[in-house]
Amino acid sequence: MKDMEVTVIENREVIKDHFLLKAKVKGRIPAFRPGQFVMVKIQGPQVFLRRPFTAYECEKDTISILYKVKGVGTRVLSKMKRGEKTFILGPCGRGFSITERELYVVIAGGIGVAGVNLLIKSLKKNVWIFFGTSSSSNLSLLGNLTNYDLFISTLDGTYGKKGDVISLFREKIDDLKNKDVEIFACGPKEMYKSLKDALLKYRLPCQVLYEERMACGMGLCFGCVVETLDPKDPIKRVCYEGPVFSLWELSL
Amino acid sequence: MGTFPLELFGKKLRNPVMNASGTLGYGKEIERLWKISTLGAFVTKGLSVFPHKGNPQPRILDLGFGMLNSIGLQNFGIKRFLEEYTEFFIRRKTPVILNIFGFTEDEYVECGRLIGENPAVLALEANLSCPNVKQGGIIFGKDPKIVGRIVRGLKSVTKIPVLVKLSSEVTDIVEIAYAAYEAGADGLTLINTLPGMWKERDTLVRGGISGPFLKFLALKAIYDCKRSLPIPIVGAGGIMNVKDAILFLEAGCSAIQVGTATFLDPLAIPKIVKGLKAYFKRGQKW
Repeated sequence: MKDMEVTVIENREVIKDHFLLKAKVKGRIPAFRPGQFVMVKIQGPQVFLRRPFTAYECEKDTISILYKVKGVGTRVLSKMKRGEKTFILGPCGRGFSITERELYVVIAGGIGVAGVNLLIKSLKKNVWIFFGTSSSSNLSLLGNLTNYDLFISTLDGTYGKKGDVISLFREKIDDLKNKDVEIFACGPKEMYKSLKDALLKYRLPCQVLYEERMACGMGLCFGCVVETLDPKDPIKRVCYEGPVFSLWELSL
Repeated sequence: MGTFPLELFGKKLRNPVMNASGTLGYGKEIERLWKISTLGAFVTKGLSVFPHKGNPQPRILDLGFGMLNSIGLQNFGIKRFLEEYTEFFIRRKTPVILNIFGFTEDEYVECGRLIGENPAVLALEANLSCPNVKQGGIIFGKDPKIVGRIVRGLKSVTKIPVLVKLSSEVTDIVEIAYAAYEAGADGLTLINTLPGMWKERDTLVRGGISGPFLKFLALKAIYDCKRSLPIPIVGAGGIMNVKDAILFLEAGCSAIQVGTATFLDPLAIPKIVKGLKAYFKRGQKW
């Protein structure tokens, strides 16, 4: 883990309110596991704390994050210009754990695709991607993930199956029952609740990337906790014991 | 005027810099960035007799100029800390200040009893100022009689020096501090976060406000207590950099605690330690 001084080399709007920020690090960046995140110092008068973002792409001296403007922090971040300097702490948290499987299923809800991009790239083959978004205008969030087996749903029905991504996933779930499969997911809490319901039938292994508001990003403040079913330590820190948890471990 | 290295409660500390309770976890987490032995002493997050799960989400709010936290003193209990962490701090030659709290007066005293004799422990810091719990904390810290009773209780069950951490959100902090002193407190930690509130998802959330603005309140409390009481004061509240640290030491603090600054800059503490070393090397004293 390092607190890296970085220079913004790109901060462009991919689709409305969604930005891709690319930053150059002095020297080499430490190795990131898919699902690990960074704490970005946002330079602005109304922002005090750093903000967490999953590493979207990592090269030897550049790191990217894909984010949606949701509040003050991300709004100020979206105004950062090429050449501006800031600090990025990372890699934070524990990422996805990847074991050899016959098939990998990745489910992403909306901007959740930012959390699984690095994972999908590292899986390379036998990957099914379920991507759910509000409308076809958001499809460019997929970037170059279009080379994979894609299943798409839109809430307004303008592309793919009309409805939410878990309903789409439910249609394929029987195809998975005899396969050696691991599921990965990134999206809002409500999505995890319905994913858990969908998976109860076969109880397939599933890792989810959980999000919570954070102050420190490294296990110091206990601000970002989530309740789990672990009898010894039920309250876990998303930034330290997570952000990746087994879906079956979470008390949703 | 103080000296460097510092002597506190008869023990030599490498430097006068501590973390504020609850801002460095249980102590091991930060070692991915720097060694805990960078500190003069490590202050634990608030520990209680029984494990406590703390408050539900939301726990954090960015105020733009500071933060509001509603952690609610989540911890796994004082016994587990002593069992699992004592050796770690002995190996790191880093004295520990155990921040303790209870939901009743008896629970505070029971914390003191549970510690026994522990070579890693420099002092207890009785948290009589946490704004995040409905019972105990700041409610006790506003009443000089209760403060006195808790300190006397602790002094009767342990030989370990007792620091009392107080809030400035009282009519007269000197009156409370004097009650602690009269009951045998060995030192004061001034101050804690300030109570605040916000509304989110239709729920009112109570929390403690911290950030650089706190230093102005802390310095006033420190100045007032320093004039009236002959016991060491550990300064806390809004210390963001070495300049702030020097200001607190000059105001009469024996040591200082750095809290929220670590969240903004995880290297804030090593930077302050380095800056103070350079300051003292130039022959400056506090």
